[in-house]
Amino acid sequence: MNRHQLGEFEEIVMLTVGILYKEAYGVAIIDEIEARQNRKVSIGALQTVLRRLESKGYLTSEFGEATNVRGGKRKRYFSLTSLGSRVLRETQEQRVDMFKAIPRMAFPKS
Amino acid sequence: MNSLPHIQPPKYFLRFFRWFCDPAIAEDIEGDLTEMFEREIDAGNITKAKLQFSVRILGLFRPGIIKKIGRSSLLNHPSPMFKNYFITSVRSLMRSAGFSTINIVGLAVGLATFSLIAFYVYNELSFDRYHEKADRIFRIVENLRTENEELFQSTSAPPMGPRFLKDFPEVENYVRLQQWSLLAQRNEISSYERESYIADSTVFDIFSFKLLKGDKKTALREPFSIVLTESMAKKYFGNEEPVGQTLKMDYDNYKVTGLMEDVAENSHFQFSNLISFSTWSRNNKDNEDRAWFWNGFHTYVLLREDASADNVRAKMKDFLQRNVEKGGMYYEDLPLQPLASIYMAPPRAWENGSRGSMNNMYILSIIAVFILLIACFNYINLATARASRRLKEVGLRKTLGALRRMLIAQFLGESLIITIISSLLAAGLVWLALPSFRTLVESPLSLSILPDAWKVIGVIIGLVIFIGLLAGAYPAYIISKFQPVQIFRPSSKGMFGHNALRKVLVSTQFIISIMLVAGTLLVYDQLEVVRNQDLGFDKEGIITVPTNGDTAIVNYLDAIKNELKQVPGVVSVAGSTSTPGQSAGNNYTEIEMTDGKMSPTNINFIYADHDFLTTYEIKLLAGRDFQRDVKSDDTTAYLINETAMKDFHWTPEQAIGKKVRGGPRGKIIGVMKDFHYRSLHSKVEPLMIAMTSRVGRMSIRLDGKNLPATISSVQKKWNELIPYLPFDYSFLDVEFDRQYKADQQLGKVAGVFTGLAMFIGCLGLLGLTAFVVERRTKEIGIRKVLGASVPSVVMLITREFIWLIAIALVVATPLTWYLISQWEQNFTLQAVINPLRFLMGGMAVFLVAWLTISVLSLRAANANPTKALRME
Repeated sequence: MNRHQLGEFEEIVMLTVGILYKEAYGVAIIDEIEARQNRKVSIGALQTVLRRLESKGYLTSEFGEATNVRGGKRKRYFSLTSLGSRVLRETQEQRVDMFKAIPRMAFPKS
Repeated sequence: MNSLPHIQPPKYFLRFFRWFCDPAIAEDIEGDLTEMFEREIDAGNITKAKLQFSVRILGLFRPGIIKKIGRSSLLNHPSPMFKNYFITSVRSLMRSAGFSTINIVGLAVGLATFSLIAFYVYNELSFDRYHEKADRIFRIVENLRTENEELFQSTSAPPMGPRFLKDFPEVENYVRLQQWSLLAQRNEISSYERESYIADSTVFDIFSFKLLKGDKKTALREPFSIVLTESMAKKYFGNEEPVGQTLKMDYDNYKVTGLMEDVAENSHFQFSNLISFSTWSRNNKDNEDRAWFWNGFHTYVLLREDASADNVRAKMKDFLQRNVEKGGMYYEDLPLQPLASIYMAPPRAWENGSRGSMNNMYILSIIAVFILLIACFNYINLATARASRRLKEVGLRKTLGALRRMLIAQFLGESLIITIISSLLAAGLVWLALPSFRTLVESPLSLSILPDAWKVIGVIIGLVIFIGLLAGAYPAYIISKFQPVQIFRPSSKGMFGHNALRKVLVSTQFIISIMLVAGTLLVYDQLEVVRNQDLGFDKEGIITVPTNGDTAIVNYLDAIKNELKQVPGVVSVAGSTSTPGQSAGNNYTEIEMTDGKMSPTNINFIYADHDFLTTYEIKLLAGRDFQRDVKSDDTTAYLINETAMKDFHWTPEQAIGKKVRGGPRGKIIGVMKDFHYRSLHSKVEPLMIAMTSRVGRMSIRLDGKNLPATISSVQKKWNELIPYLPFDYSFLDVEFDRQYKADQQLGKVAGVFTGLAMFIGCLGLLGLTAFVVERRTKEIGIRKVLGASVPSVVMLITREFIWLIAIALVVATPLTWYLISQWEQNFTLQAVINPLRFLMGGMAVFLVAWLTISVLSLRAANANPTKALRME
């Protein structure tokens, strides 16, 4: 399990790719993260992470149709692989387990 | 999507992106970028969209996005090794930090010096090229021949310009300029404007002087119109609007009709204001049309675009015959000087503005190249010397199949890295040194004279690559030649047979150093000779003050002189039209020859009063000075100088009493010993002195005790007597020395750069010694164990270098001798080349080299031999 540690941003990117399902390409991912997380995402950071996740085998991608907008360049749609979704699920479970393990006493009374 | 005109993303950034991005992923990322760009354009902010686009691309320039180097051609291309080369290079640089520092600092100082000198030389060569029509503008100059001499003047006669326009279809326009020195007064400010010029109204059509206010067609049309430069306008009008106001200059009121930019620093003549030509010509119509022999103007002609100066020149003989009447002086030729060549051309008589010296440019360029060479040689020496350190690396690479060209590429790359680091350091040095350098060469050297930035950057990159390759070529060749099997030979001496080359390089450095040191010393010798030469008068302790032909002074000259003489510390006071070091007027005169006939000639004139000769301590060979009790002296007495006397083939005694008709008829009453009344660059020309009270300058000899106090009390007196005339004094000796400004600058610059060259040379020597000492550590240890003394060990290491210096001295001496004697041709009075200077140069270089070497070799010699021998 330890082999599949995800970084925080990696995790968010994978979650977003999941959320967008068939529509997960660069600009859409950025928009989605910015909308949900209220933070700035640079295309440089995103693209690096996308390629890294793809090379690890968590994501896969394919080209869409060429259109007139975007200077005629095709979009690359990303989707979760089965390995990717497993890692994502494991990460989430790990988090929840750890959260549950916090003793009540540890939370300061509000 | 968008109906507005299509806006493209920043082209260069896009190109950059396409260049670095991994092609496998480039398409969709570019699509994303474009999409976001278009979205922001639709939102309406174009600038922001472009900026964001560029920022994003810079953000993408990171590992993971950048294409993998050499992925496509893994097998047959050395590029995958680049990273490795880079790492090994950096490591080897770090490992021998001392040597790298020497290389880098030496090269940086060399490059910085080179760039500074190059900048200066460029500045000097850029003179007048900024005028848009520069290649079509020519100055008419005159070669004249009289019975006695040939004259090369920069000036021409007033009808010359108009006649050129009429007679040569090639000539499109002309402008005549004449320098005036006027006393400008407004409110409380009163000051001499020595750089005033009267100019034809065409001046703005020919030159690219920029008129900021006023109409260039009419600004210089009416008499007493004046166009001010910005700085002069500021001086007299402050923040007021100058155009339309009046300014008093001498006795007239001028109307300001225009405001222009200050004259660029790289213009061969400078002025603070232009006055309409009609101010002069309205009362001098006759002179303007007919004074063919009055060479009072600088005339510039503009040729038509399709015309060539050669065509004009071809018709010159004809032109002269048609237009110029014969007289006592003949026009030999009227050369046309291209505008851009004037600044560097040998100065002619009556030049306007300062002049550069092509010779000095050559000398400086040579010094610059020398310094760069010394720095390169350092690199070559140290790199080849250190090659043995890299043997294992090279052996391993070769064994693993590295091709020779790969190794060459590696080591060239290494020298390029060093050069690049050095050039960055050099840029910093230049930036730091520029202000002091400006003071050194006394030139403003503003960056604005440089061509556009891309050209400069291109040249710099070119230079860096060139130096990198020059310095790296030989080490790369040597190292790559090496055979792996040689590692296993016990002696590695044999394969470093390039010792010979190192010796050649080191002695070349010594040669250059000695040449620079001896050359500088000789230049100083020459300047000293010039400074101390017998001028024929005593220039120390004299101040001169312009009087501007003021009528009050003319009328009460003797009274004013007496008043000034009362001031304690004042020895004597004299008035004259011009003072030594200035120009002297040239008048048409008839003189009685030995056979009794009157012969016409042109001769230089100074008009002076009774005290001129005594104040300047000019000696008489025969006859007498002007005398107060001989009333007729005021109008009929002439003094001539020795040269004039010899020109007329007289003895001093014969000269006395000869008739002269130069204006009033009179007689020669005395013969003066020659004195340098003009430039030191030219020999003394014939001169006549006649009396006048219409003085233009006062010369005041001070006794030299407590000069500042004396000057301030003279000034106080002056302000009491003539409060409206500024006491604008200058020291005669300073003015005189200024004539050698260019040469003195050369001396100073050469001195500084010789120091730098020595410094770089020493750095190299230090590195080389360190290397030799290191290699011979054991040898030194054994010698010491066997009883060698410290001096003998030091000698062992120094011996080699002493020989090289001796050889260098032998080579450097004749070379320097030749160059310096060439340079001295510029001077009328030449210093004798002192052979001792070469010995001193050699000694200086030897001393510095010896000190450098000794520091390290002493340390080696003093070290405990056990340490050296226990090293393994």
